[in-house]
Amino acid sequence: MKITFPHMGRLYIALSTAIKILGGDVVIPPYNNKRTLELGSLNSPEAICFPYKLVLGNYMQAIENGADAVLMIDSPGICRLGQYSSSLRTTITDLGYNVKFINFDLYKGKLKELYVKFREATGNRNPITLVRAINMALLKINILDDVDKILSYYRARELKEGDADKRYLKGLREIEAALGHKEALNAKKNTIEYIKSTPIDPDKEIVTVDLVGEIFVVLDQFSNLDIEKELGRLGVHVNRQINLSDWVKASIIPSFLRFGDTHEEKARKSARTFLKRDVGGDAIESIGDVALAGKQHSADGVIHLLPFTCMPEIVAQNILPNVRYQQDIPVLSLVLDEHMGRAGYITRLEAFVDLLKRRKRQAGKSLKVAVNAG
Amino acid sequence: MKIGIPRALSYYNYYPFWHGFFSELGVELVLSDKTTKKLVTEGSALVVSETCLPVKVYVGHVLNLLDKDIDVIYSPSIQSIAPKIYNCSKLRGLPDLIRNVVNKNFLLIEPTLDKSEPNQGFYQYLYESVAPLGITDKKLIKKASKAGWECMNNFSIMTRSGVDIPTAMRNAINGKISLESTQKEGMAKVAVISHGYNIYDEQVSMKMFKKLKQLDIEAYTSYNLTIEQMNEGIKNLDTVLYWANEHEMTGAAGYYLKDDNIDGVITLTAFGCGPDSLMIERITRYAKRFNKPLLNLTTDEHTGEAGFVTRIEAFTDMLIRKKRTSIVNSLKRQVVKKEEEKRLVGVE
Ligand code: SF4
Ligand code: SF4
Repeated sequence: MKITFPHMGRLYIALSTAIKILGGDVVIPPYNNKRTLELGSLNSPEAICFPYKLVLGNYMQAIENGADAVLMIDSPGICRLGQYSSSLRTTITDLGYNVKFINFDLYKGKLKELYVKFREATGNRNPITLVRAINMALLKINILDDVDKILSYYRARELKEGDADKRYLKGLREIEAALGHKEALNAKKNTIEYIKSTPIDPDKEIVTVDLVGEIFVVLDQFSNLDIEKELGRLGVHVNRQINLSDWVKASIIPSFLRFGDTHEEKARKSARTFLKRDVGGDAIESIGDVALAGKQHSADGVIHLLPFTCMPEIVAQNILPNVRYQQDIPVLSLVLDEHMGRAGYITRLEAFVDLLKRRKRQAGKSLKVAVNAG
Repeated sequence: MKIGIPRALSYYNYYPFWHGFFSELGVELVLSDKTTKKLVTEGSALVVSETCLPVKVYVGHVLNLLDKDIDVIYSPSIQSIAPKIYNCSKLRGLPDLIRNVVNKNFLLIEPTLDKSEPNQGFYQYLYESVAPLGITDKKLIKKASKAGWECMNNFSIMTRSGVDIPTAMRNAINGKISLESTQKEGMAKVAVISHGYNIYDEQVSMKMFKKLKQLDIEAYTSYNLTIEQMNEGIKNLDTVLYWANEHEMTGAAGYYLKDDNIDGVITLTAFGCGPDSLMIERITRYAKRFNKPLLNLTTDEHTGEAGFVTRIEAFTDMLIRKKRTSIVNSLKRQVVKKEEEKRLVGVE
């Protein structure tokens, strides 16, 4: 059995590691690209949200490459996500593909569901290996998030464009290849060293931006046109507020094993003045993150990413003008879909960063100007 | 005591209940005016353009009430109607959206119904509906709830017997019941599948029912069905209830797609509606399987009436033609059969 799964940022590194440890065969779909989107769009309902199309495209490309079993993840986002898998399944079957579907139903259970479904996917019945595989996957997710945070600092300040990324990618390959615990921690250490060896200008005038929004497009470099890298190029230190590890913490780790509030729980508290209820997806987190950005994180601005037709984020997008007014912080909402042109996108980013720089210089004089950044 | 009710969204599902309930408690309800183009434009101006039309319409109705100097507005959040059966985000966060986009001074009554949460059930919802008005006597609230259900049930009984919505609404509110169907026999029967707030808002549906009547077509909707029939409909389409407002879509469609008396199905969906995009996909696939003619219509604030009407006309023409042909064919078959019988008799 050759197993595949959809992309969500760098999740593939964690998932493929787990499957390899269990002795399974993996087909990692080509990272999201134009063709993925074309294949997906062609076979998706018209007004479906953007991530759905890419996920379908991933499956189709992986099946072309020989995968015959697909992992599907139903996570408690309580949105259309909950319906993704049944709809995808029908489509894939209708396309004439004969594959096995393995559903990770994170509504039903958390770690246990993971355990049972990994066993089903790989046929490995050894409980010790299973636990080790899951642990490694979780460890790698944490490593990836940690490394990203450091990368963001260096990207914004590097002397030569792309330098930090080159070093980071070298490390990423080591992280990906590691199969043992020690090996992974070593890879992490190396990666951090590589990144830290990037020549930088520590006194460079930079601005900080909190990146918030719907998790899929925040993490997927293809959908967001590698926004973190673009911003880094513009001298922006990006603090991504939604990370893979937050998602894992909320949807996989049982609450009695967690330390402290999850990102969602924190955001819920700070969102309360604006949004009292959960409305599904990551909306409450988007609002909460913006409410925290200025005063708590001392960020200079916020960029809010959302997929076209994403229901929860449309609610968030409608509420955000009030939040940014009350909190006096510039917010730029970017709606992502297949029709977005690169040039226009970059122009909007540049204009926003300019605004932040101007504001920062003026700070102290007249902070109380109503900023219309949308 | 007066509270304003926007004539939009859940008004079309629950107004009879609210009427019975609030009247019993001595609260007077004031409705916003019927939707107009101006009202939609004003509502749209306050939200981002990706927002679906029904929510824009809703915002417009809130503004309309405020214009009438009504300063208490009732805007419920219907989160979930059964464990894990949720509404779309916009309906869930409706009062939150209103609070943030309408920058005026008013009291928003925003009860939450969330049957996926242990302490947010129906009575809690009712309590939150009137507590801001100073009514907290739980016995009184329970009694009022009964009055609400009575009004609601009368309304449903009428619509299920074929009384049209405006008439049924009027009667239910005046405590009257009339079971005589307002449906006149037409040349063909069509089921219209959409959320109540789309089809019964004449501005949104571009007077679709009037048009169908003019074309001599009988129109049926989810309001003519019982919950049991809609549950059967959901089963017919090999799925399970997922969205809180799925009965009126998948449920009604599934029922009518398998109903031999229905000649064709029209779906009407608001541009940008999340739940509908998946439901319509399923309905379309099964219409093909069941061989039932289907017309999908999408609407937003820019849709022109002319194009709409043309498509409806073309569709119903086709249905009538098809029906005629099949009648003619079956007559022909009868004639052939008779002649054959005669021949056989002759041979003997
Ligand atoms: S949160 Fe948005 S992108 Fe995700 S499933 Fe829901 S609508 Fe789609
Ligand atoms: S169900 Fe669709 S039309 Fe209704 S509020 Fe939600 S997105 Fe809008």
